[in-house]
Amino acid sequence: MILEILSIGLLVSACLALFLDEVVYSVAALAGTFLFTALLYYVNGAIYAAIFQFVVGVGTLAILFLSGEMLSDKSTKKTSPKKLAALIGAGVVLSLPAIFLSVSSSTGVYSDASFGDALWNLSGVDVVLQALVIFTVALGIAIILYERRSVGK
Amino acid sequence: MDFVILSLVMLAIGIYGLLTNRQLLKVFISVELIATAATLNFVMLASSASQGLGQAFLILAFSTDTAVSGVVLALLVIVTKKYGTSNINEILKMQEKKGSEAEQ
Repeated sequence: MILEILSIGLLVSACLALFLDEVVYSVAALAGTFLFTALLYYVNGAIYAAIFQFVVGVGTLAILFLSGEMLSDKSTKKTSPKKLAALIGAGVVLSLPAIFLSVSSSTGVYSDASFGDALWNLSGVDVVLQALVIFTVALGIAIILYERRSVGK
Repeated sequence: MDFVILSLVMLAIGIYGLLTNRQLLKVFISVELIATAATLNFVMLASSASQGLGQAFLILAFSTDTAVSGVVLALLVIVTKKYGTSNINEILKMQEKKGSEAEQ
């Protein structure tokens, strides 16, 4: 029952995030999407995934709220209650196939690797390389914005 | 309850938003939804088979997703400051205008 409610909430908030007219409200709905995803992970026993989803979601949302306030047009029209109800209804209807249909089948591929083993023993090199990628990207963004500023001067 | 269908529906919503929305921030939100759908599918399948490897790969997927978000947001700020709007249609119109002026 909890999984069904969470999946309905997930799809409703995804619909609201995409089709609400006000950017700030759609970012708030995206926060709901991240929260429901983290709760789904937690209920299914993937606790580390839930924590990471939550942390990354909070970081992304903070930046999105800032840029949404900065970049959005102030003269956007407000969402009408009819459209809001239609979006919520669409989200509920779209979640029905996931609740009542089933296509999954067991593949029989199981391993006993715990999270710590999997992260550091099986994919430790990947983690280090990803850290390098993140550092490079951060440096690249800083260079792009710095050049932009110096060209502006 | 089937998480494959759930993530498939979420992916479809994200792709529909990507194709129909004209605001750059909404396009970015669509990309976020598509990434969330992919990771949801991955983690749910892995955790239903009680594998820790799924969660380990999720962290790698998150770091890639965060890098993409950073680059997209930097580009979004630059484009919006350059053209004064975040509407894709208006930006394309301005570019066409510039192109035709340069030809003349």
